[in-house]
Amino acid sequence: MPKTITEQNLHLLVDALLREGKRVVGPKRAGTVTLYEPLRRGEELSLDELPRRSAKETFFPVCESILSYEKREGRMTVRDVDLSRLPESVLIAARSCDAAAPGILDAVFSWDYHDEFYLERRRRTVIIGLACTTADDACFCTAVGLSPAATQGSDLFLTPLAGGGYACAVVTEKGEALLTAHAGLFAEAESIEALPPAEPAAAPLDLKRIKAWLDANFEHPFWGSIAERCAGCGACAFLCPACHCFDISDEGSETKGERRKHWDACGFGKFTNHASGHNPRDVQPQRYRNRIMHKFKYYDDKFGLTLCTGCGRCIRACPVGIDIAAVLDEINSKP
Amino acid sequence: MCIPDKNIYKPHLATIDAIVDETHDIRTFRLVFEDEAVRDSFAFRAGQFAEYSAFGAGESTFCIASSPTRKGHIECCFRAVGRVTEALRRLEVGDTVGVRGPYGNSFPIEEFFGRNLVFVAGGIALPPLRTLIWNCLDWREKFGDITIVYGARTEADLVYKRELREWEERGDVRLVKTVDPGGNGPSWDGQVGFVPMVLEQAAPAAENTIALVCGPPVMIKFTLPVLEKLGFGDDAIYTTLENRMKCGLGKCGRCNVGNVYVCKDGPVFTAKQVKAMPQEF
Repeated sequence: MPKTITEQNLHLLVDALLREGKRVVGPKRAGTVTLYEPLRRGEELSLDELPRRSAKETFFPVCESILSYEKREGRMTVRDVDLSRLPESVLIAARSCDAAAPGILDAVFSWDYHDEFYLERRRRTVIIGLACTTADDACFCTAVGLSPAATQGSDLFLTPLAGGGYACAVVTEKGEALLTAHAGLFAEAESIEALPPAEPAAAPLDLKRIKAWLDANFEHPFWGSIAERCAGCGACAFLCPACHCFDISDEGSETKGERRKHWDACGFGKFTNHASGHNPRDVQPQRYRNRIMHKFKYYDDKFGLTLCTGCGRCIRACPVGIDIAAVLDEINSKP
Repeated sequence: MCIPDKNIYKPHLATIDAIVDETHDIRTFRLVFEDEAVRDSFAFRAGQFAEYSAFGAGESTFCIASSPTRKGHIECCFRAVGRVTEALRRLEVGDTVGVRGPYGNSFPIEEFFGRNLVFVAGGIALPPLRTLIWNCLDWREKFGDITIVYGARTEADLVYKRELREWEERGDVRLVKTVDPGGNGPSWDGQVGFVPMVLEQAAPAAENTIALVCGPPVMIKFTLPVLEKLGFGDDAIYTTLENRMKCGLGKCGRCNVGNVYVCKDGPVFTAKQVKAMPQEF
């Protein structure tokens, strides 16, 4: 029989998880916007709107220390970050587009060399997804093969019910363990009446066709025409649940400090700048082309995956109105 | 290989054992790993690179410039042009740097056995070939004729001057050194002319010969047609792409040329491979 949980009990679930010492990250009002943030109590959960930023930072922080160094009496020592101290976490009420992203990023962080900073956070996190019942003009998850009710990446999945509360589906063993441990907060229903999932207006894209066009059209006037106005601000990359480019830099003095890994963006002018001054991608259309190519060709070439979940955040935030869904739609319709 | 398995970004510590000023802004470090186990186990192949750090400034990418046949130390050669390299230049003998690596692919040296070799380098692009040159010279009997064409803007800009002399004098290497017109002083005993032109005049035979080319993009651009004219096929020409990198591990998304990740798929490529890539490097 399907499990259900009331809104009140969802709050109690957060409280219970916090009491267990877990870090619970979920949508929370932050001024005039909603953001995925660590919760201090269940009542802070705010499930009405898609958070402004993705949930990516739960696994891949904007900036994190990857080691510290110190020189004492002329001798340098390097100290590792103790990953065993990372908290057990629950990402609660992650929209389908956000819950699906970590599963896509696993590929790049675990091929060949393993980035344990990301992977250890993944191991220690349970994701409770949440179906969307509303969509805005920028939502295009259905265009890239996901849907407002897609359970990819979730361990448990919540679907809002017509009479209030949520149906809770078990997706993975990790999710089942969490549900079992808090079984008292869930009820069993004979049948459920789920609210209808949102229906984004974007029509499904033929991603294979798009990739085939990208394979053949690295040099095409199209790139200049769509990206000349790109300001290179990086907002799209920073809000994206799947963009994962990063930089590494030191913070501190030559005798004591930390080495940090932090987000970067291929749209930035100096991202590829050589020490000699030569820049392989020296104008913005080349950089925008790389962004599209990375998401819909290179990542597919390498891992067989699309690096986009159709969340639409890059569209909402772009200061010059570049609409990736429209760009893809145009490519999709090219001969 | 000697990559830590838990924290892939953690460098080994190495002491600067010796410093050579190659030019007014190019410097060679001879580095000895502080940990004895690392010193013993660190192995690499000619062409591979590493991430070198000046603590407090960050990391920079350079090839390992010494030969894999020379054990106990590695060498890197860098031009002080930015925050990290300027910080590296401030370090002295006895100071510590961080070294992550070795990363990337390498020259398939075994495939060169029995072949003639022509090295063509410009400016500070000699180090990525110097590792292979010494590797081949240490295994001299495995190769046929060895020709080195090396040029820089001026005499003062030539790196490894002492080794140029050594290669000139050893008798089993043909060294053609050159400086750009106007870059020669009264004592200059080499050629005067741009590398591609000097290469054409030197006219090494293409038959059974591998060409190895490293230099600034403009030099490579004009050298490839010369090699073609001399009869070298694109799969007999090797070069390295010197893209900006950060992680060196195929994750940070910085060094790609099309779907090729220079840090993982390169830095060594044949001219045939380079020509098949999008021209974005």
